Amino acid sequence: MDIPFTRKPRPDTGLYNAKLGIWLFLASEVMLFGGLFSSYIFLRVGADYHWPVHELNVTLGFVNTLVLIISSVTVVMAWANLKMRKIGAYKLCMWITIASAGIFMVNKSFEYKAKFEHYGVKLKDGTIVTGHFPEGGYRIEVEGGSKVSMSVKTGDPSYFLAYAKGDAPKFKTAAGAEIELNGSTWADLAKEAKEAKQNTITFTAVSPLNLAVKESATFTHTANSVTFRDGTTVEGTSVKDAMTLQVDKVDVRASDDPDKSLAWHYMGADWKHAFEAHRKHAAEKYKSFDTKDARFLRHVLQMEIHHPTVAAHNEAHPAEKHAAEAKAPADGGHAASGHDSHYPEITIERKDIAFWSNFTPKWNTYYAIYFILTGLHGMHVIAGALVLAYFLICDKKLLREDPDHLANRIEVGGLFWHFVDLVWIFLFPLLYLL
Amino acid sequence: MEHGHEDLQKHVRKYFKIGVILCVFTIITVGLSFVELPTHNLNIIVGMIVATFKAALVALIFMHLNHEASLIYKILLFTTVFVTGLFVLFYFAHGDGLVFTGFDSYPGTPYGGAPH
Repeated sequence: MDIPFTRKPRPDTGLYNAKLGIWLFLASEVMLFGGLFSSYIFLRVGADYHWPVHELNVTLGFVNTLVLIISSVTVVMAWANLKMRKIGAYKLCMWITIASAGIFMVNKSFEYKAKFEHYGVKLKDGTIVTGHFPEGGYRIEVEGGSKVSMSVKTGDPSYFLAYAKGDAPKFKTAAGAEIELNGSTWADLAKEAKEAKQNTITFTAVSPLNLAVKESATFTHTANSVTFRDGTTVEGTSVKDAMTLQVDKVDVRASDDPDKSLAWHYMGADWKHAFEAHRKHAAEKYKSFDTKDARFLRHVLQMEIHHPTVAAHNEAHPAEKHAAEAKAPADGGHAASGHDSHYPEITIERKDIAFWSNFTPKWNTYYAIYFILTGLHGMHVIAGALVLAYFLICDKKLLREDPDHLANRIEVGGLFWHFVDLVWIFLFPLLYLL
Repeated sequence: MEHGHEDLQKHVRKYFKIGVILCVFTIITVGLSFVELPTHNLNIIVGMIVATFKAALVALIFMHLNHEASLIYKILLFTTVFVTGLFVLFYFAHGDGLVFTGFDSYPGTPYGGAPH
Protein backbone atom coordinates (compact mmCIF):
# COMPACT_ATOMS: atom_id res chain seq x y z
CA MET A 1 0.00 0.00 0.00
CA ASP A 2 1.27 3.44 -0.87
CA ILE A 3 1.49 6.15 1.74
CA PRO A 4 -0.89 8.89 0.57
CA PHE A 5 0.06 12.52 0.05
CA THR A 6 3.81 12.05 -0.22
CA ARG A 7 4.06 14.59 -3.03
CA LYS A 8 0.88 16.69 -3.16
CA PRO A 9 -0.46 18.46 -0.08
CA ARG A 10 -3.43 16.93 1.70
CA PRO A 11 -6.46 19.16 1.13
CA ASP A 12 -7.50 19.45 4.79
CA THR A 13 -4.08 20.13 6.33
CA GLY A 14 -2.58 21.94 3.38
CA LEU A 15 0.61 19.92 3.88
CA TYR A 16 2.09 16.75 2.48
CA ASN A 17 2.06 14.19 5.27
CA ALA A 18 5.78 14.00 5.95
CA LYS A 19 5.94 17.73 6.57
CA LEU A 20 3.21 17.57 9.20
CA GLY A 21 5.09 14.65 10.73
CA ILE A 22 8.45 16.40 10.94
CA TRP A 23 6.90 19.52 12.47
CA LEU A 24 5.19 17.48 15.16
CA PHE A 25 8.53 15.80 15.82
CA LEU A 26 10.36 19.14 15.93
CA ALA A 27 7.76 20.42 18.40
CA SER A 28 8.71 17.58 20.76
CA GLU A 29 12.39 18.29 20.10
CA VAL A 30 11.82 21.89 21.19
CA MET A 31 10.45 20.55 24.46
CA LEU A 32 13.45 18.22 24.91
CA PHE A 33 16.05 20.93 24.38
CA GLY A 34 13.86 23.47 26.21
CA GLY A 35 14.00 21.26 29.28
CA LEU A 36 17.77 21.03 29.05
CA PHE A 37 18.19 24.77 28.53
CA SER A 38 15.98 25.26 31.57
CA SER A 39 18.31 22.95 33.53
CA TYR A 40 21.25 24.99 32.28
CA ILE A 41 19.73 28.16 33.78
CA PHE A 42 18.92 26.31 37.01
CA LEU A 43 22.47 24.97 37.37
CA ARG A 44 24.06 28.28 36.45
CA VAL A 45 21.98 30.37 38.84
CA GLY A 46 22.51 27.86 41.65
CA ALA A 47 26.23 27.23 41.07
CA ASP A 48 28.36 27.55 44.21
CA TYR A 49 31.55 28.04 42.16
CA HIS A 50 32.69 30.51 39.52
CA TRP A 51 30.83 29.60 36.32
CA PRO A 52 33.39 29.09 33.54
CA VAL A 53 33.48 31.76 30.84
CA HIS A 54 35.66 31.37 27.72
CA GLU A 55 36.97 28.14 29.20
CA LEU A 56 36.24 25.97 26.16
CA ASN A 57 38.13 26.25 22.90
CA VAL A 58 36.40 29.30 21.36
CA THR A 59 38.17 28.89 18.00
CA LEU A 60 36.94 25.32 17.58
CA GLY A 61 33.42 26.33 18.61
CA PHE A 62 33.50 29.26 16.19
CA VAL A 63 34.70 27.09 13.29
CA ASN A 64 31.98 24.55 14.09
CA THR A 65 29.36 27.33 14.07
CA LEU A 66 30.47 28.39 10.59
CA VAL A 67 30.50 24.77 9.42
CA LEU A 68 26.90 24.30 10.57
CA ILE A 69 25.76 27.56 8.94
CA ILE A 70 27.39 26.53 5.64
CA SER A 71 25.72 23.11 5.81
CA SER A 72 22.37 24.77 6.54
CA VAL A 73 22.74 26.86 3.38
CA THR A 74 23.80 23.87 1.27
CA VAL A 75 20.96 21.62 2.45
CA VAL A 76 18.31 24.20 1.53
CA MET A 77 20.14 24.81 -1.78
CA ALA A 78 20.13 21.07 -2.43
CA TRP A 79 16.34 21.13 -2.11
CA ALA A 80 15.98 24.16 -4.43
CA ASN A 81 18.34 22.65 -7.01
CA LEU A 82 16.44 19.37 -7.00
CA LYS A 83 13.20 21.30 -7.50
CA MET A 84 14.83 22.97 -10.52
CA ARG A 85 16.10 19.53 -11.68
CA LYS A 86 19.73 20.63 -11.47
CA ILE A 87 20.80 17.17 -10.40
CA GLY A 88 24.56 17.84 -10.38
CA ALA A 89 24.21 20.88 -8.13
CA TYR A 90 21.76 18.98 -5.91
CA LYS A 91 24.26 16.16 -5.37
CA LEU A 92 27.15 18.53 -4.73
CA CYS A 93 25.16 20.46 -2.11
CA MET A 94 24.16 17.24 -0.39
CA TRP A 95 27.75 16.00 -0.25
CA ILE A 96 28.93 19.32 1.20
CA THR A 97 26.22 19.04 3.88
CA ILE A 98 27.24 15.52 4.84
CA ALA A 99 30.94 16.43 4.80
CA SER A 100 30.16 19.40 7.09
CA ALA A 101 28.57 17.05 9.58
CA GLY A 102 31.77 14.99 9.47
CA ILE A 103 33.97 18.05 10.05
CA PHE A 104 31.73 19.14 12.92
CA MET A 105 32.01 15.78 14.67
CA VAL A 106 35.80 15.54 14.14
CA ASN A 107 36.21 18.98 15.73
CA LYS A 108 33.91 17.91 18.55
CA SER A 109 36.02 14.83 19.20
CA PHE A 110 39.17 17.01 19.49
CA GLU A 111 37.31 19.20 21.95
CA TYR A 112 36.12 16.24 24.06
CA LYS A 113 39.54 14.57 24.02
CA ALA A 114 41.19 17.76 25.29
CA LYS A 115 38.75 17.80 28.22
CA PHE A 116 39.29 14.12 29.04
CA GLU A 117 43.07 14.68 29.24
CA HIS A 118 42.92 17.92 31.21
CA TYR A 119 42.72 17.76 35.01
CA GLY A 120 41.61 20.05 37.77
CA VAL A 121 42.92 19.65 41.31
CA LYS A 122 41.17 21.37 44.19
CA LEU A 123 43.55 21.81 47.09
CA LYS A 124 42.46 21.75 50.72
CA ASP A 125 42.51 25.57 50.99
CA GLY A 126 40.19 26.00 47.99
CA THR A 127 42.90 26.83 45.45
CA ILE A 128 42.43 25.15 42.09
CA VAL A 129 45.37 24.19 39.93
CA THR A 130 44.74 22.72 36.51
CA GLY A 131 47.03 20.94 34.11
CA HIS A 132 48.09 17.68 32.54
CA PHE A 133 49.64 14.56 33.92
CA PRO A 134 53.05 13.53 32.66
CA GLU A 135 53.26 10.23 30.75
CA GLY A 136 51.63 7.51 32.84
CA GLY A 137 49.34 9.78 34.87
CA TYR A 138 48.86 9.76 38.62
CA ARG A 139 50.69 6.79 40.16
CA ILE A 140 50.78 5.52 43.72
CA GLU A 141 54.07 3.80 44.47
CA VAL A 142 54.08 0.70 46.63
CA GLU A 143 57.28 -1.11 47.61
CA GLY A 144 58.10 -4.42 49.28
CA GLY A 145 54.85 -6.10 48.34
CA SER A 146 54.52 -9.24 50.44
CA LYS A 147 51.06 -10.80 50.56
CA VAL A 148 48.60 -10.82 47.65
CA SER A 149 45.01 -11.96 48.15
CA MET A 150 42.85 -12.38 45.11
CA SER A 151 39.15 -12.95 44.73
CA VAL A 152 38.38 -16.27 43.06
CA LYS A 153 35.30 -14.83 41.39
CA THR A 154 36.51 -11.47 40.09
CA GLY A 155 40.32 -11.64 40.33
CA ASP A 156 42.58 -11.28 37.32
CA PRO A 157 46.35 -11.36 37.89
CA SER A 158 47.11 -9.30 34.78
CA TYR A 159 45.12 -6.42 36.31
CA PHE A 160 47.52 -5.69 39.16
CA LEU A 161 50.65 -7.10 37.47
CA ALA A 162 50.26 -4.45 34.75
CA TYR A 163 51.54 -1.98 37.35
CA ALA A 164 54.48 -4.08 38.59
CA LYS A 165 57.93 -2.59 38.10
CA GLY A 166 60.95 -4.61 36.94
CA ASP A 167 61.00 -8.36 36.17
CA ALA A 168 57.88 -10.48 36.43
CA PRO A 169 57.56 -11.22 40.16
CA LYS A 170 57.41 -14.80 41.47
CA PHE A 171 54.92 -16.02 44.05
CA LYS A 172 54.46 -18.93 46.42
CA THR A 173 51.03 -20.43 46.93
CA ALA A 174 49.65 -21.37 50.35
CA ALA A 175 50.62 -24.96 49.59
CA GLY A 176 54.23 -23.85 49.13
CA ALA A 177 54.56 -24.22 45.36
CA GLU A 178 56.54 -21.50 43.60
CA ILE A 179 54.69 -20.17 40.58
CA GLU A 180 54.72 -17.44 38.00
CA LEU A 181 51.32 -15.79 38.18
CA ASN A 182 49.69 -15.59 34.76
CA GLY A 183 46.38 -16.33 33.06
CA SER A 184 46.80 -20.11 32.85
CA THR A 185 48.29 -20.71 36.34
CA TRP A 186 45.55 -18.50 37.77
CA ALA A 187 42.82 -20.37 35.90
CA ASP A 188 44.04 -23.68 37.36
CA LEU A 189 44.23 -22.33 40.91
CA ALA A 190 40.85 -20.63 40.64
CA LYS A 191 39.28 -23.89 39.44
CA GLU A 192 40.72 -25.78 42.43
CA ALA A 193 39.59 -23.07 44.82
CA LYS A 194 36.08 -23.13 43.40
CA GLU A 195 35.86 -26.87 43.93
CA ALA A 196 37.06 -26.37 47.54
CA LYS A 197 34.46 -23.56 47.94
CA GLN A 198 37.21 -21.03 48.70
CA ASN A 199 36.52 -17.34 48.05
CA THR A 200 40.05 -15.97 48.05
CA ILE A 201 43.49 -17.25 47.15
CA THR A 202 46.53 -15.88 48.93
CA PHE A 203 50.05 -15.70 47.55
CA THR A 204 53.34 -14.65 49.06
CA ALA A 205 55.81 -12.72 46.95
CA VAL A 206 59.21 -14.42 46.79
CA SER A 207 60.88 -11.88 44.47
CA PRO A 208 60.74 -8.08 44.91
CA LEU A 209 57.22 -6.81 44.24
CA ASN A 210 57.19 -3.06 43.58
CA LEU A 211 54.20 -1.35 42.02
CA ALA A 212 53.42 2.03 40.46
CA VAL A 213 49.64 1.93 40.49
CA LYS A 214 47.31 4.10 38.49
CA GLU A 215 44.98 5.72 41.00
CA SER A 216 41.91 4.92 38.91
CA ALA A 217 42.77 1.19 39.01
CA THR A 218 42.46 1.12 42.79
CA PHE A 219 39.44 0.72 44.95
CA THR A 220 41.07 1.94 48.15
CA HIS A 221 44.61 2.32 49.40
CA THR A 222 46.20 2.84 52.81
CA ALA A 223 49.76 3.25 54.06
CA ASN A 224 50.35 -0.51 53.94
CA SER A 225 47.96 -2.00 51.41
CA VAL A 226 46.32 -1.28 48.11
CA THR A 227 43.08 -2.83 46.89
CA PHE A 228 42.48 -3.00 43.15
CA ARG A 229 39.15 -2.76 41.38
CA ASP A 230 39.13 -6.48 40.68
CA GLY A 231 39.22 -7.13 44.44
CA THR A 232 42.93 -7.99 44.63
CA THR A 233 44.70 -6.66 47.74
CA VAL A 234 48.46 -6.26 47.80
CA GLU A 235 50.13 -5.69 51.15
CA GLY A 236 53.12 -3.40 50.87
CA THR A 237 54.41 -0.02 51.98
CA SER A 238 53.08 3.03 50.21
CA VAL A 239 56.27 5.02 49.54
CA LYS A 240 54.74 7.76 47.40
CA ASP A 241 51.17 8.95 47.29
CA ALA A 242 51.52 12.20 45.44
CA MET A 243 50.29 13.56 42.14
CA THR A 244 52.67 15.03 39.60
CA LEU A 245 50.98 17.76 37.58
CA GLN A 246 52.15 20.02 34.75
CA VAL A 247 50.41 23.19 35.86
CA ASP A 248 48.81 25.44 33.23
CA LYS A 249 46.66 27.58 35.51
CA VAL A 250 46.45 28.64 39.13
CA ASP A 251 43.03 29.83 40.30
CA VAL A 252 42.97 31.30 43.81
CA ARG A 253 39.45 32.76 43.60
CA ALA A 254 38.11 30.24 46.12
CA SER A 255 41.29 30.16 48.19
CA ASP A 256 41.05 31.05 51.87
CA ASP A 257 43.93 33.49 51.45
CA PRO A 258 45.47 33.96 47.97
CA ASP A 259 48.79 35.05 49.49
CA LYS A 260 49.07 31.88 51.55
CA SER A 261 47.62 29.59 48.90
CA LEU A 262 48.89 26.02 49.02
CA ALA A 263 49.77 26.47 45.35
CA TRP A 264 52.76 28.63 46.32
CA HIS A 265 53.94 25.95 48.72
CA TYR A 266 54.32 23.67 45.72
CA MET A 267 55.13 26.15 42.96
CA GLY A 268 57.71 28.11 44.94
CA ALA A 269 58.35 31.75 45.72
CA ASP A 270 59.23 32.76 42.16
CA TRP A 271 55.87 31.76 40.78
CA LYS A 272 54.20 33.50 43.68
CA HIS A 273 56.01 36.68 42.75
CA ALA A 274 55.02 36.23 39.12
CA PHE A 275 51.44 35.85 40.28
CA GLU A 276 51.65 38.99 42.42
CA ALA A 277 52.93 40.91 39.41
CA HIS A 278 50.13 39.49 37.29
CA ARG A 279 47.59 40.37 39.94
CA LYS A 280 48.81 43.94 40.21
CA HIS A 281 48.91 44.37 36.46
CA ALA A 282 45.42 42.90 35.95
CA ALA A 283 43.93 44.91 38.83
CA GLU A 284 45.24 48.06 37.15
CA LYS A 285 43.84 47.00 33.78
CA TYR A 286 40.40 46.23 35.21
CA LYS A 287 40.33 48.99 37.81
CA SER A 288 36.96 50.27 36.52
CA PHE A 289 35.38 47.04 37.80
CA ASP A 290 33.97 46.44 41.25
CA THR A 291 36.51 44.29 43.07
CA LYS A 292 33.74 41.80 43.90
CA ASP A 293 32.65 41.54 40.25
CA ALA A 294 33.09 37.95 39.07
CA ARG A 295 34.85 39.26 35.97
CA PHE A 296 37.37 41.22 38.02
CA LEU A 297 38.13 38.10 40.06
CA ARG A 298 38.39 36.01 36.90
CA HIS A 299 41.02 38.27 35.40
CA VAL A 300 42.90 39.11 38.57
CA LEU A 301 42.89 35.98 40.73
CA GLN A 302 43.65 33.49 37.98
CA MET A 303 46.98 33.12 36.26
CA GLU A 304 47.49 31.10 33.13
CA ILE A 305 50.89 29.56 32.66
CA HIS A 306 52.35 28.71 29.26
CA HIS A 307 56.02 28.44 30.14
CA PRO A 308 58.07 25.92 32.10
CA THR A 309 60.06 28.50 34.08
CA VAL A 310 59.40 31.83 35.73
CA ALA A 311 62.11 33.40 33.56
CA ALA A 312 60.37 32.35 30.34
CA HIS A 313 57.03 33.45 31.79
CA ASN A 314 58.40 36.91 32.60
CA GLU A 315 59.95 37.15 29.13
CA ALA A 316 56.50 36.64 27.64
CA HIS A 317 54.80 39.11 29.99
CA PRO A 318 57.10 42.16 29.83
CA ALA A 319 54.47 44.42 31.40
CA GLU A 320 54.52 42.29 34.51
CA LYS A 321 58.24 41.54 34.36
CA HIS A 322 59.55 44.58 36.14
CA ALA A 323 57.66 43.97 39.34
CA ALA A 324 58.52 40.28 39.32
CA GLU A 325 62.24 40.88 38.85
CA ALA A 326 62.36 43.38 41.64
CA LYS A 327 61.08 40.80 44.10
CA ALA A 328 62.42 37.55 42.69
CA PRO A 329 65.19 35.96 44.73
CA ALA A 330 68.33 34.77 42.97
CA ASP A 331 67.54 31.08 43.20
CA GLY A 332 64.41 29.61 41.70
CA GLY A 333 61.42 28.16 43.46
CA HIS A 334 61.22 24.41 43.67
CA ALA A 335 58.77 23.90 40.84
CA ALA A 336 60.89 21.95 38.39
CA SER A 337 60.16 21.93 34.70
CA GLY A 338 59.37 18.59 33.14
CA HIS A 339 61.55 17.30 30.34
CA ASP A 340 59.23 17.85 27.40
CA SER A 341 56.76 19.96 29.30
CA HIS A 342 55.76 23.50 28.46
CA TYR A 343 54.60 23.88 32.02
CA PRO A 344 56.14 23.82 35.47
CA GLU A 345 55.82 20.40 37.04
CA ILE A 346 54.80 20.08 40.69
CA THR A 347 54.20 17.07 42.91
CA ILE A 348 51.24 17.49 45.23
CA GLU A 349 50.92 15.43 48.39
CA ARG A 350 47.69 13.46 48.58
CA LYS A 351 46.86 15.01 51.97
CA ASP A 352 46.62 18.47 50.36
CA ILE A 353 44.15 17.40 47.67
CA ALA A 354 40.46 17.93 48.42
CA PHE A 355 39.18 16.74 45.04
CA TRP A 356 40.54 16.05 41.60
CA SER A 357 39.08 15.00 38.29
CA ASN A 358 39.45 15.52 34.59
CA PHE A 359 37.09 18.04 33.01
CA THR A 360 34.11 15.71 32.76
CA PRO A 361 30.71 15.81 34.53
CA LYS A 362 32.54 14.73 37.69
CA TRP A 363 34.37 18.08 37.89
CA ASN A 364 31.31 20.35 38.16
CA THR A 365 27.73 20.94 36.99
CA TYR A 366 28.94 23.17 34.15
CA TYR A 367 30.74 20.23 32.56
CA ALA A 368 27.75 18.00 33.28
CA ILE A 369 25.36 20.22 31.33
CA TYR A 370 28.05 20.89 28.70
CA PHE A 371 28.48 17.19 27.93
CA ILE A 372 24.75 16.49 28.02
CA LEU A 373 23.82 19.37 25.73
CA THR A 374 26.67 19.01 23.25
CA GLY A 375 26.49 15.21 23.37
CA LEU A 376 22.80 15.19 22.58
CA HIS A 377 23.34 17.83 19.91
CA GLY A 378 26.18 15.77 18.40
CA MET A 379 23.90 12.73 18.21
CA HIS A 380 21.40 14.87 16.32
CA VAL A 381 24.14 15.90 13.89
CA ILE A 382 25.01 12.25 13.25
CA ALA A 383 21.36 11.23 12.86
CA GLY A 384 20.62 14.13 10.50
CA ALA A 385 23.67 13.34 8.36
CA LEU A 386 22.71 9.64 8.17
CA VAL A 387 19.19 10.48 7.01
CA LEU A 388 20.45 12.92 4.36
CA ALA A 389 23.10 10.42 3.23
CA TYR A 390 20.37 7.80 2.86
CA PHE A 391 18.31 10.12 0.63
CA LEU A 392 21.37 10.93 -1.46
CA ILE A 393 22.78 7.43 -1.87
CA CYS A 394 19.83 5.02 -1.58
CA ASP A 395 17.03 7.01 -3.19
CA LYS A 396 18.39 6.80 -6.77
CA LYS A 397 15.20 5.22 -8.11
CA LEU A 398 13.06 7.96 -6.61
CA LEU A 399 15.37 10.57 -8.12
CA ARG A 400 14.74 9.09 -11.60
CA GLU A 401 11.06 8.41 -11.29
CA ASP A 402 9.59 10.97 -8.90
CA PRO A 403 12.06 13.78 -8.12
CA ASP A 404 9.33 15.91 -6.51
CA HIS A 405 8.74 13.20 -3.92
CA LEU A 406 12.48 13.08 -3.24
CA ALA A 407 12.57 16.89 -2.99
CA ASN A 408 9.94 16.65 -0.25
CA ARG A 409 12.13 14.13 1.58
CA ILE A 410 15.10 16.46 1.28
CA GLU A 411 12.95 19.31 2.58
CA VAL A 412 11.90 17.29 5.61
CA GLY A 413 15.46 16.11 6.29
CA GLY A 414 16.56 19.70 5.81
CA LEU A 415 14.02 20.98 8.34
CA PHE A 416 15.53 18.66 10.92
CA TRP A 417 19.00 19.80 9.90
CA HIS A 418 18.07 23.48 10.33
CA PHE A 419 16.68 22.71 13.77
CA VAL A 420 20.03 21.16 14.74
CA ASP A 421 21.73 24.36 13.54
CA LEU A 422 19.21 26.45 15.47
CA VAL A 423 20.00 24.64 18.73
CA TRP A 424 23.71 25.18 18.14
CA ILE A 425 23.11 28.93 17.62
CA PHE A 426 22.09 29.07 21.30
CA LEU A 427 24.56 26.49 22.60
CA PHE A 428 27.63 28.22 21.22
CA PRO A 429 27.27 31.52 23.13
CA LEU A 430 25.85 29.90 26.29
CA LEU A 431 28.62 27.32 26.70
CA TYR A 432 31.64 28.89 25.02
CA LEU A 433 31.28 32.64 25.28
CA LEU A 434 29.09 33.96 28.08
CA MET B 1 3.72 24.79 -1.99
CA GLU B 2 4.64 24.92 -5.66
CA HIS B 3 7.55 27.06 -6.73
CA GLY B 4 8.33 28.39 -10.19
CA HIS B 5 11.82 27.96 -11.64
CA GLU B 6 12.48 31.71 -11.45
CA ASP B 7 11.18 31.88 -7.89
CA LEU B 8 13.60 29.16 -6.82
CA GLN B 9 16.52 30.84 -8.54
CA LYS B 10 15.74 33.94 -6.46
CA HIS B 11 15.42 31.78 -3.33
CA VAL B 12 18.88 30.30 -3.85
CA ARG B 13 20.42 33.76 -3.93
CA LYS B 14 18.49 34.67 -0.79
CA TYR B 15 19.69 31.53 1.05
CA PHE B 16 23.25 32.42 0.18
CA LYS B 17 22.80 35.98 1.48
CA ILE B 18 21.23 34.74 4.73
CA GLY B 19 24.17 32.37 5.16
CA VAL B 20 26.60 35.29 4.89
CA ILE B 21 24.54 37.34 7.38
CA LEU B 22 24.57 34.42 9.84
CA CYS B 23 28.37 34.12 9.56
CA VAL B 24 28.77 37.87 10.13
CA PHE B 25 26.55 37.73 13.20
CA THR B 26 28.56 34.78 14.52
CA ILE B 27 31.68 36.93 14.34
CA ILE B 28 29.77 39.73 16.11
CA THR B 29 28.67 37.29 18.85
CA VAL B 30 32.25 36.18 19.49
CA GLY B 31 33.54 39.76 19.42
CA LEU B 32 30.85 41.03 21.78
CA SER B 33 31.63 38.30 24.31
CA PHE B 34 35.12 39.77 24.73
CA VAL B 35 33.75 43.29 25.29
CA GLU B 36 33.17 43.85 29.00
CA LEU B 37 29.80 45.59 29.27
CA PRO B 38 28.89 47.25 32.62
CA THR B 39 27.63 43.92 33.98
CA HIS B 40 28.11 40.37 32.77
CA ASN B 41 24.35 39.88 32.74
CA LEU B 42 24.19 42.60 30.10
CA ASN B 43 26.68 40.58 28.03
CA ILE B 44 24.39 37.55 28.37
CA ILE B 45 21.29 39.53 27.37
CA VAL B 46 22.98 41.05 24.32
CA GLY B 47 24.40 37.65 23.34
CA MET B 48 20.96 36.06 23.60
CA ILE B 49 19.35 38.84 21.54
CA VAL B 50 21.87 38.26 18.75
CA ALA B 51 21.36 34.49 19.00
CA THR B 52 17.58 34.90 18.87
CA PHE B 53 17.91 37.08 15.77
CA LYS B 54 20.09 34.41 14.10
CA ALA B 55 17.69 31.67 15.13
CA ALA B 56 14.78 33.68 13.72
CA LEU B 57 16.55 34.00 10.36
CA VAL B 58 17.09 30.23 10.24
CA ALA B 59 13.47 29.51 11.21
CA LEU B 60 11.86 32.08 8.93
CA ILE B 61 14.00 31.72 5.80
CA PHE B 62 15.66 28.29 5.84
CA MET B 63 12.72 26.53 7.47
CA HIS B 64 10.22 28.53 5.39
CA LEU B 65 8.25 29.65 8.43
CA ASN B 66 7.63 33.01 6.72
CA HIS B 67 5.06 31.29 4.50
CA GLU B 68 3.68 28.05 5.85
CA ALA B 69 0.34 26.31 6.19
CA SER B 70 -1.63 27.57 9.19
CA LEU B 71 -1.62 24.13 10.85
CA ILE B 72 2.13 24.41 11.49
CA TYR B 73 1.69 27.73 13.28
CA LYS B 74 -1.02 26.15 15.44
CA ILE B 75 1.34 23.32 16.42
CA LEU B 76 4.11 25.79 17.18
CA LEU B 77 1.77 27.93 19.25
CA PHE B 78 1.19 24.95 21.57
CA THR B 79 4.93 24.29 21.72
CA THR B 80 5.67 27.90 22.58
CA VAL B 81 3.12 27.86 25.40
CA PHE B 82 4.56 24.67 26.88
CA VAL B 83 8.18 25.67 26.54
CA THR B 84 7.41 29.04 28.16
CA GLY B 85 5.73 27.05 30.93
CA LEU B 86 8.99 25.15 31.44
CA PHE B 87 10.91 28.36 32.01
CA VAL B 88 8.18 29.78 34.25
CA LEU B 89 8.31 26.60 36.32
CA PHE B 90 12.02 27.19 36.76
CA TYR B 91 11.30 30.73 37.91
CA PHE B 92 8.83 29.49 40.55
CA ALA B 93 11.22 26.81 41.75
CA HIS B 94 14.07 29.27 41.96
CA GLY B 95 12.01 31.90 43.79
CA ASP B 96 10.66 29.42 46.30
CA GLY B 97 11.78 30.71 49.69
CA LEU B 98 10.97 27.54 51.58
CA VAL B 99 14.51 26.43 52.27
CA PHE B 100 14.71 23.76 54.94
CA THR B 101 17.53 24.59 57.33
CA GLY B 102 17.11 21.72 59.78
CA PHE B 103 14.76 21.07 62.67
CA ASP B 104 16.95 22.89 65.15
CA SER B 105 16.43 26.21 63.38
CA TYR B 106 12.93 26.50 64.81
CA PRO B 107 13.39 26.33 68.62
CA GLY B 108 10.20 26.43 70.62
CA THR B 109 8.08 25.16 67.76
CA PRO B 110 6.90 21.60 67.31
CA TYR B 111 9.80 21.24 64.85
CA GLY B 112 12.52 22.37 67.19
CA GLY B 113 11.95 20.40 70.38
CA ALA B 114 12.49 22.22 73.67
CA PRO B 115 13.62 25.84 73.58
CA HIS B 116 17.26 26.32 74.55
